[in-house]
Amino acid sequence: MFPVVLTSRVRTGSRDDVPGIRRRAVLLSAVLAGAAGATGCGLIDEKPAPPPPPDPLAPLIGEALALSATYRSAAAVSDPDLAVRLTAIAADHDAHAREVAQLIATPLPSAPASGPPPSASATSAVAALRAAETKAHDTAVAACLAASPGRVALLGSIAACRASHLEALT
Amino acid sequence: MSEGSNEALSAALAAEHAAIFAYGPVGVRLTRAAAAAARAAESAHRSRRDNLVVVLVGLGVTPPPAAPSYALPEPVTDAAAAMRVATTVEERTAAVWRAVLPVTTGRERLDALTALTDCAVRATRWRELDRVEPVTVPFPGRT
Repeated sequence: MFPVVLTSRVRTGSRDDVPGIRRRAVLLSAVLAGAAGATGCGLIDEKPAPPPPPDPLAPLIGEALALSATYRSAAAVSDPDLAVRLTAIAADHDAHAREVAQLIATPLPSAPASGPPPSASATSAVAALRAAETKAHDTAVAACLAASPGRVALLGSIAACRASHLEALT
Repeated sequence: MSEGSNEALSAALAAEHAAIFAYGPVGVRLTRAAAAAARAAESAHRSRRDNLVVVLVGLGVTPPPAAPSYALPEPVTDAAAAMRVATTVEERTAAVWRAVLPVTTGRERLDALTALTDCAVRATRWRELDRVEPVTVPFPGRT
């Protein structure tokens, strides 16, 4: 360790026989050892900066991608007209994920491979989509109300879009 | 409230005046469910207008009056044109409410978000009635 090296160099130096200097050197080495112990990684290496806290909007990205996957799963087993509607809504959610990722300067995670297994009937699938969309709408409203002026317009549009999805599922 | 919010709220009021005007010629071209939707939409815009007048007067701002007439995005010659005009009116009104969001907080911001959302939902309803797909846009109010 660095303090030991310092102590030994002082001991072997030309002033090794001067007690006052030697005592100060030992004291200094103790202080340095204490400092090294306190930081945990020595005096030379910089302690790595802690990672920044996650952006409060980060969860919106995963939520939007998960919703998109759920809509696509439901579209795969729906009649053609409903499938067109559900696929378009999935594309809205994908666009939301991209824009939020861009806003908070984070890479867009790869989308989930597939959503949950679709419901047995189209009626129950749409009911499940409405429930998920209502929850996501609440998330977006809360984020919009808490947002800084630079972010609020995007979040307001996302909240309004999710409400329009509920209308489209009626 | 700041000068920015006074301007944004005045712009919202001007847009509500224009929307109320537009639903006049729109409504007369529609029947049944579409006519009912037009009446409901016009009534909603009148409520927003009345509320905005109260808010602006409370802020010491003279509310901009309605103009005698407004240019429509296209002549309302039939039901199809009426539904297209109604969709455009809702999209434009959504945009002015979206612009109110950054200059408000708390209750005022929630009011603006509700107005933006109502416009987006009505625009979706008009696209459905007009059988236009997709019936939603990803970012209502973004121009």
